[in-house]
Amino acid sequence: MEFFDCNVHFGYPTKGSVAPVGSISKLIESIRKAGIYKALVWHITQHDASPQVGNKLLSDAIQPYPNLYGCWTLLPTQTGELPPPEVFFAQMKTARIVALRTFPRSHLYPLNRLSFGKWLDPMIDLRIPIILSLRRGCEWQDIYLLLSEFPDLLCIICDHGCWGMDRLFRPLLEQYPNVYIDTAQYFVDGGIEALVNDIGYERILFGSGFPESYFGGIMLMLKHARINDEAKSAIANGNLERILSEVKL
Amino acid sequence: MNNSSSYISDSPLAKEFWSMGKSVSCPIYDLHGHMGDYPPIFMPKSDLTAMIETMDDCGVKLLVFSHHLALLTPDLGNQASIEAVKQYPDRLRSYMVFHPKYPEMISETWKTFEKYPEVFVGLKFHPDIHEVPLTDPRFKPAFEYANTHKLIVLSHTWGTSIYNGYKEVNVIAQEYPRIKLLLGHCLHAEWQSATQLAHDFPNVYLELTAVFDDRGAIETLVSGVGSDKVIFGTDLPWFDPHHAIGALLSADITDEDRHNIFHRNAEKLLAPYL
Repeated sequence: MEFFDCNVHFGYPTKGSVAPVGSISKLIESIRKAGIYKALVWHITQHDASPQVGNKLLSDAIQPYPNLYGCWTLLPTQTGELPPPEVFFAQMKTARIVALRTFPRSHLYPLNRLSFGKWLDPMIDLRIPIILSLRRGCEWQDIYLLLSEFPDLLCIICDHGCWGMDRLFRPLLEQYPNVYIDTAQYFVDGGIEALVNDIGYERILFGSGFPESYFGGIMLMLKHARINDEAKSAIANGNLERILSEVKL
Repeated sequence: MNNSSSYISDSPLAKEFWSMGKSVSCPIYDLHGHMGDYPPIFMPKSDLTAMIETMDDCGVKLLVFSHHLALLTPDLGNQASIEAVKQYPDRLRSYMVFHPKYPEMISETWKTFEKYPEVFVGLKFHPDIHEVPLTDPRFKPAFEYANTHKLIVLSHTWGTSIYNGYKEVNVIAQEYPRIKLLLGHCLHAEWQSATQLAHDFPNVYLELTAVFDDRGAIETLVSGVGSDKVIFGTDLPWFDPHHAIGALLSADITDEDRHNIFHRNAEKLLAPYL
């Protein structure tokens, strides 16, 4: 199996953590040891301190590593803290940034058309994924509201919780064809098997949640899940490879 | 392409679990399980047959559990646990749930416990669910009974809890030194406090359910008190044992530590009952 991890970060969190991975070299070493071949990464500073500073820390760090792809963080267009969308998207291409993260609760804005329309309309056209983490700066009602206004948005829901959250994300998967979930914290027994059986494997992406979670938990689960090899391969890397191949930057 | 020669880690146990999903030399004893539905959670494999299937897939030799009905439905008591163990006596043992809010049930609880020595290996407390602190007098009959009979007690513990946090566990561990007290979830997120308790009290053990999703916690516990005080558990059917196993294989500890945690410590604790 080959694993393309959609949910990895690095850097030292402001409030500390049990086992942070501070440097890109340490991240690369951890990925190699676990047997991960590609990762979509972000820097914790993008959330904790400054999207602008964090975005630069991220893109500078990943440049020497072609198996790493980046996610920058957005802010509302109205305050002018980031370059205009067309400039920003061009910078993304140069920096190997292929997805975007937002943290509406932490950075204090509503994730809706009024504040984010100028980002999200072109993101739909360009097939750029937005990644939302329930572990950090986002709540379910934010996602429900966002998708009600932008039903075609390519949205990856990460870290949706370990407490069997199917009742919360399955309605979104049913209603919106461009919504995906990752596997970080999705370790309710039989959860992946039930989801694959009910809706198929195409909407599930391998994500570890590293460094807050161990790589091996979800990897071993997926390796021995009661689903066929085609489904395992798609979840481990194929679905994310397809999504990123369709990004038009 | 994956240029690594192995997945998760290069330890022999990791290679075996990666290849087979289980290990011949390393059986799993899961000392924190449940069974049946739980209202807020979608759990697709919570019935007895499905749980045994999961145990087979993951190499879980024995599960010690308390049925959700025993935790949530005092009217039915521990009957569902008894019936499950009778169906799979080689694979299951149960904790007797003690409900502190119904003193009228106490004498019947002990009668049932003594009637089924082939079923019960100890007691289960869940102070957060029942909203009674471990130190409350309503728990006293159960602690005295367990202390007298040197029972295993698995208590839910959580770092932020006012019912089963560090302060409550510290009092209980001092007061009842003959019980074998398993700290379910290791005072979740207060790993240093849990380690301190296991260090201070020979009768206190650290049980790992829900610890596996906080990278670095396993290393903190093992380096702080030693792997011979750490017990494997998953909350099955809440969490897939393969997730817990994979996390333990990822952690920066030795395979000897893993053998202690996966089976050796449990084999010692359960020896009088098996």
